[in-house]
Amino acid sequence: MRIVVLTKPVPDPAAAEHLGPDGRVDRTGGNVINGNDEYALEAALKLVETHGGEVTVVAMSPETGRDVLRKALAMGATRGVLITDPALAGADWLSTIRVLAAAVREMEFDLLLVGVDTSDGGAGLVPAGLAALLGLPYLSNAATIEPVDAGVRVNRITATGFETLESATPAVIGGTQALGAPRYPTLKGIMGARSKEVAVRTLGDLGLDPATVGGAAAGTRVVDLRRPPERGQAKMVRGPAADVAREVVEFLAARGFI
Amino acid sequence: MPDPSSTFRLTEEQVQLRDAVRTLAREQIAPRAAAIDREGTFPHDIKDLLARQDILGLPFPEAYGGLGADLLTVCLAIEELSRADATTGLILAVHALAATPILLAGTPEQKQQWLPDLAAGRRLIAFALTEAEAGSDPAATRTRATRDQTHYRIDGSKRFISHASVADVVVVFAVTNPDAEKPSRRLSAFLVETSSPGYAVARLEHKMGIRGSPTAELTFDDVRVPAANRLGAEGEGFAIAMRTFERSRPGIAAQAVGIAQGATDEAVRYSRQRVQFGRPIGELQMIQAMLADMAAQTEAARALLYRACAEIEHGPAEDAARWASMCKLVAGDTAMKVATDAVQVLGGYGYIEDFPVERMMRDAKITQLYEGTQQIQRLVIARSLLRASA
Amino acid sequence: MPGGIWVIGQAAAGGGLARLSSEVATLARALGEAGGVPVSGVVVAAEPAALAAELAGFVPRVLAVTEPALAASAGATVVAQRVAALARTNAPNLILTGADPDGRDIAGVLAALLGWPVLANALNATWGPVGPRVEISVFGGKQFSTSEFTAGRGVITVRPNAVQAVAQTPAGSVEAVQIADHLALPGVRVVGRIHEQHGGAAVEDARIVVAGGRGIGGPDGVTLLEHLAEALGGAVGATRAAVDAGWIDYPKQIGQTGKIVKPALYLALGISGAIQHKVGMQTAETIVAVNRDADAPIAEFADLMVVGDLFEVGPAILDELRTRRG
Repeated sequence: MRIVVLTKPVPDPAAAEHLGPDGRVDRTGGNVINGNDEYALEAALKLVETHGGEVTVVAMSPETGRDVLRKALAMGATRGVLITDPALAGADWLSTIRVLAAAVREMEFDLLLVGVDTSDGGAGLVPAGLAALLGLPYLSNAATIEPVDAGVRVNRITATGFETLESATPAVIGGTQALGAPRYPTLKGIMGARSKEVAVRTLGDLGLDPATVGGAAAGTRVVDLRRPPERGQAKMVRGPAADVAREVVEFLAARGFI
Repeated sequence: MPDPSSTFRLTEEQVQLRDAVRTLAREQIAPRAAAIDREGTFPHDIKDLLARQDILGLPFPEAYGGLGADLLTVCLAIEELSRADATTGLILAVHALAATPILLAGTPEQKQQWLPDLAAGRRLIAFALTEAEAGSDPAATRTRATRDQTHYRIDGSKRFISHASVADVVVVFAVTNPDAEKPSRRLSAFLVETSSPGYAVARLEHKMGIRGSPTAELTFDDVRVPAANRLGAEGEGFAIAMRTFERSRPGIAAQAVGIAQGATDEAVRYSRQRVQFGRPIGELQMIQAMLADMAAQTEAARALLYRACAEIEHGPAEDAARWASMCKLVAGDTAMKVATDAVQVLGGYGYIEDFPVERMMRDAKITQLYEGTQQIQRLVIARSLLRASA
Repeated sequence: MPGGIWVIGQAAAGGGLARLSSEVATLARALGEAGGVPVSGVVVAAEPAALAAELAGFVPRVLAVTEPALAASAGATVVAQRVAALARTNAPNLILTGADPDGRDIAGVLAALLGWPVLANALNATWGPVGPRVEISVFGGKQFSTSEFTAGRGVITVRPNAVQAVAQTPAGSVEAVQIADHLALPGVRVVGRIHEQHGGAAVEDARIVVAGGRGIGGPDGVTLLEHLAEALGGAVGATRAAVDAGWIDYPKQIGQTGKIVKPALYLALGISGAIQHKVGMQTAETIVAVNRDADAPIAEFADLMVVGDLFEVGPAILDELRTRRG
């Protein structure tokens, strides 16, 4: 199986500030693999362990995203592709999927896995939009992925349970946490990653005009940025359970919840 | 080869490996530490995790399936594991310690026979030198190994042997030359499989600390060991043991530095959160002084450890024992002091099980006792200093 | 059919119009009024009449597209293609969907087919100088950004519970539409459906969420959550720790790799409030936490912090609620 996994470097969600003064995501700090992409990557690694094949990880990011690719390689991916170009700073969703599509079209694959959304923007629209641009079937919200004759089967999480989907391959699949906890890179994996290939693709390499993708072509702009209002101090309540319960219920009643 | 006297920095690869172990320790081992201590049994799940992640393969050459890591890198891993849980750090430390005699004195056939399983973590190995009457004084060893054609027959007992109850093979030091002129030529080293008839774990100790690490008393009742299992020549056992300590004492120093760092981390975190007299106690100068000393002393022990690793591997061979003893001496005392201070910073909360510092204090003490007591370390250092020609 | 603002009506899992769509439609109507722009709904379904009629309770006009392919295939891509076809001939400026998984799928395919930008996860929208200005919570609620489309045209996805649905009277008109064109994108077949044992309200839709973390300890704790949720008329949620431990299933997980929720009330039992969970619920209007540890991070952003054993406090709250009602 040939599987491509999009891994987005995102700021570590546990750290503090993330939008720079220009309203763009500040990617200079320590980056981690976007949570849902890690689950997708884990699923891909398990699939090639079972069925044979290779996993290629792709990231569109500044150079600092190379560390994220290296971690994916340490987990067991075969090769990495870093799409990077200064003109991409400030790229909006539409530019992002156009650039990713251009890079992915250079590859041959059976499955393209993407985490359903990201912790640093969270629109959750990249997998769907990418599938549309590539003209491929899109199976979203996957909890399980299984190759079947001439295609792939996915259990998709719905509000009431699951629906089982099937399509031909190549296909785009949106990965969720339900795919299973990602492995820690083994030490051998970490050492081996140093010799794995990371190809670099600039906009020029992809034949794309910076004026049409990238920050210059953004279809949206941020006009204001502010912190949410402080919630204020919590009212602390202690004491015998019955008293505490009364206070809680009065609190809720005063706010119209009961 | 790095210049040992230059300012020391870790290589990029060492940083990556260290950080990987640190993440694993923080996320998978630290949450288990309290339970491991409370249950007082060897954490096989943690051992399996270390094996799976190749951590147990660090000390072994790549030719045998290991990572071929240098001494410093192995110590980095022990330190990071111990920061989360001293018992877990010891799993790697004992494995590395006990395999060292094979690495130092094994024939190519012996290495091929034993090392691959050890590197993969499929088998565990322990180190049995100490006896009830031979602790600081290994020359007083009484366990005998008598040659019987193709085998040796081992009789005797050992005491305080870490992990002997979970190991698959134990390096046993026994007297083969009772009449040797020098006491240091009486011993030989043997690889004994724990499944051998006559090998028994007589008891396990109940200890103050590192309670997840089983400490065994062993009895050898006519245990037959193939002569091919002898490491090195007859009479070479003591020398093998001493050369082993040059590499294993830094491992214990690393455990100690890890404990000290973990204790410091806890004390700092607590000082940020605990409010008394209307403000975090970290704003009080007496607390600040303690935290500062804890951090500086831990850093000093760490710096000496890293330097010692470089010197042991690249410096003059005759100085190796002194470096090993120095780093173990300083780190052990540091761990005990820093862990005790951590309990002090937490006050009453430092004394109860709900917080990890009391365990760290109990764990720290052993680093002043095993792998050679602090007193023995001082003798080694002094001997080295006084030996050098003027 | 003039351009303007469109809202796509989505079907609820159990049939009927999704409550989220009625909220999105309400927002669309408000935007249309503010901007002086006409508002229409679009429904694409195998049998769209009932859905369209419901959506017409919220917008003046609804296009109801009959799409037989939706009887057996996964909907979002099909819906998006039909809406895209309509949009090419009718030229709306804005298309709104819900920001739930179905809505996101529709929005992603639709915007890609049209080549439109998107503003996702809107909490609110007002009319600005060049078009709508959309308020979005980014980085798990650490910051709020207000954004607009540079060319005044795009797709917007709207978060659940961001807007209160308000019906309009009289109901709008429904116009049936059929589109015979071939569907260009490859289909995805639905070959089965599984209903999970613990049903209950979807946590992302609920106005009240009762959530449990590591402190609930196991299935007994889950039962307590269910009783409290029932008593308050809310949904059960969980942190990743509870899901990883196997006590609750993943669709109920709230947090960085689970759902982002914005209920009116979030009752957190045995939840420490670590950042990975906090990002999923910190924009809730009212947060009440019960935890043994007074120093748990959740105390920093809760409105009411109960320091105590949830296995004592929880049942006591149930008793108190029963007393009030009884």
